[in-house]
Amino acid sequence: MTKSIDTSIYAAVSEAIRAEAQRILSDGTVTAIVGYAAARRKGSAQPIVISSADDAAKLIFTPACVNNLAVYLTKAKKEIPKKGKVGIVVKGCDLKALSGLMGESQLKREDLYLIGVPCAGVLASTVQPATELTSDSIAPKCTECDAQLPGGCDFVPPQAPLTPGQTRKYAAEIARLEALTPAERWAYWKEQFSKCIKCYACRQVCPFCFCEQCLCDRNKPQMVDTTPRPAGNTAWHIVRAMHLAGRCAGCAECERVCPMDIPLNLLNRKMAKELKELYDYEAGFEVNDKGPLNSYTEKDDQSFIK
Amino acid sequence: MQKFISEQNLHTLLDKLIAEGTRVVAPRMNAGTPLYEPLKSASEMVADQLPRRSGKEAFFPLCEDIMTYEKEGQKVTLKDIDPARFPETVLVGVRPCDAAAIPVLDAVFSWDYKDEFFLERRKKTTIVGLACTSADDACFCTAVGLSPSETRGSDLFLTPLEDGGYACESYSEKGEALIKGHLELFAEPGNSRAVSLAQPQTEKFDLKKVKAWLDEHFEDSSWDSIATRCVGCGACAFVCPVCHCFDIVDEGTEKSGKRRKNWDACGFWKFTHHASGHNPRDQQPKRYRNRIMHKFKYYEDKFGQTLCTGCGRCIRLCPVGIDIAQIVEEISKK
Amino acid sequence: MHPEKQKHTFEPKIIAFVCTWCTYAGADLAGTSRMQYPPNVRVLKFPCTGRIDPVFILKAFQQGADGVLVSGCHPGDCHYIAGNFHARRRFAVFRKLLEFVGVDLNRLQFSWVSAAEGGKWVEVVTDLTEKVRAMGPMTEFRELALEEQWSGAINTPELEEAYNQI
Repeated sequence: MTKSIDTSIYAAVSEAIRAEAQRILSDGTVTAIVGYAAARRKGSAQPIVISSADDAAKLIFTPACVNNLAVYLTKAKKEIPKKGKVGIVVKGCDLKALSGLMGESQLKREDLYLIGVPCAGVLASTVQPATELTSDSIAPKCTECDAQLPGGCDFVPPQAPLTPGQTRKYAAEIARLEALTPAERWAYWKEQFSKCIKCYACRQVCPFCFCEQCLCDRNKPQMVDTTPRPAGNTAWHIVRAMHLAGRCAGCAECERVCPMDIPLNLLNRKMAKELKELYDYEAGFEVNDKGPLNSYTEKDDQSFIK
Repeated sequence: MQKFISEQNLHTLLDKLIAEGTRVVAPRMNAGTPLYEPLKSASEMVADQLPRRSGKEAFFPLCEDIMTYEKEGQKVTLKDIDPARFPETVLVGVRPCDAAAIPVLDAVFSWDYKDEFFLERRKKTTIVGLACTSADDACFCTAVGLSPSETRGSDLFLTPLEDGGYACESYSEKGEALIKGHLELFAEPGNSRAVSLAQPQTEKFDLKKVKAWLDEHFEDSSWDSIATRCVGCGACAFVCPVCHCFDIVDEGTEKSGKRRKNWDACGFWKFTHHASGHNPRDQQPKRYRNRIMHKFKYYEDKFGQTLCTGCGRCIRLCPVGIDIAQIVEEISKK
Repeated sequence: MHPEKQKHTFEPKIIAFVCTWCTYAGADLAGTSRMQYPPNVRVLKFPCTGRIDPVFILKAFQQGADGVLVSGCHPGDCHYIAGNFHARRRFAVFRKLLEFVGVDLNRLQFSWVSAAEGGKWVEVVTDLTEKVRAMGPMTEFRELALEEQWSGAINTPELEEAYNQI
């Protein structure tokens, strides 16, 4: 059954973001702010970088503000001014990614001014940007969200988001796949991966894919075929899921941007689930120096080792 | 030649072609995504959705082998791929924005070097266009001088009729041959009117003015504001019906392998990365500038055509909402 | 005296990624002690299990391995103190990932074999070889290598040839 989702707070949230942006840009707290602005298509939004207080009025927050803006602060993006403090508008899921980046020494907390957004959810990539937010049109990641109110920010508008209880879409899909035989699962992923065109949108929007040169862009040795054929595609997505295991914060940008609708976040959620079970690790707001895969205990499970 | 064909007869025609061994490529669902792909049966065709990728890959595949090598001791054997083995193909249900892209591609693939892979596939393919009945606010074919009933590029063009079936008109010998080979399935045109076609809501661009501005503004601060947010993926180029850059790679082992031609995109940092380590397009706005320049200036300079058919795919699929229609419109107003 | 060699219709290819300090020495001991174990295993020596990237395992399957063994020092015995502890976590997760995309985990074995455990090496290799032999060839990745995007496909005999060469 389709349930509508209350996004009435977004107008007041946008208002509060604009006022705060105006303030911190004019008093020199920050040199630039990465946020969202309205775009041409009806109801759509796009990332924007502003450095003048006059532009603060452009900032918005709507269900179409889907991007994880953390990507703009990583090494992969050199275009954003790095002088002084940078302000950034973050949803809870985006903040988890920022915390991860701080843990990996990619960013320093003192260089950032965090404007947190109370978020009731954003739209799925499969619907037009002007669609009303409902339990059908909501992004799958939002059905499993435990971070509607980002914590530890410099500023968070006072509104509180309301979201009805929802079916956890990834949990359900992972359970469905786990119940299949290996051959059936192979067939499922084979079909999905065969659509991949190696546009690398999944990599480019990922805040954690900040390597100066990706393993898959190297050809000596060539670990993964660059050719967009089923063999190389499968290897690419397995390697990417492995490189993100224990780091992925669950923003699901990879899945959202995939022009071929490959359910990439399923792989990341599955890894997150295993890491939770094995090492009681979960991505959150706190900054950890060590992730689950670059630390260990002597008592780790080794029942699979002879 | 004007004819009428019913929905059922169209399916019969396609099934017949498939049975004869012709490859029939049409929009179908692949794991939930509409794509132009070979059909096993005409019933797989879905005509109501714009395929996610364009029809160009019927001529210019995502990746294709152009040569294989084998090495045994000192002996190296090279084998060319023989384009004569490409299958006869009928490309059906092609949207006007995708069909119109094909003559645009002809220009570059038969220019100073004749690309035999492209041209052989082109020669063996009959294109059956389909008038477009639905548009969203990313569509802008009308803005670049095309329309939902544009027949350019189609050998045969279908227009859905109010009373069912399609009005069918041939625009080339290939199209005529397809009708003549299966005359029993076609009827004389009736009186039924065409269904109402899509109406993209974009004003026509003044492409001359756009080019005039681009001629003068290779260096301009607006490129930064347009494309600072570009994340450098290849989604826009890969879903584009007219983007045609490719990369040649060798893949394999010491013993054997292949030389391949893969799609490439000017959005990638690697696209202009020199062996020396120098990269003339060192920042994303410079890479995006090339995309706009190539589409609305360079191609115009060289071939007198615009390298954009207004399908709107790059607008819908850009991870960061870069809107080429808006950018060009703004340029035309400068 | 060698025991009579049994003839099989299928000889699986097993790739073993081993650490140089323990398992490689253990395999060496098995050899110098004249213990018999299946010749199906191809041993690749690494400084430490911590150096074994999951992509190596993937590559082995892609290049035609029917089974993969990863083996190193027992916990606490790592020459580099903690390499095998890190490897343990990494592979615990990686095997879950492979399982999720549909690889049968019976083809992938992890073990700790010390320099003194020639007998254990023989046992591990024999068990894995026989298990994989019973399962038959690993065809998933090889079949994948034969597949083209439809638009590039010309049903080439070259591709088929390449497949058979693996």
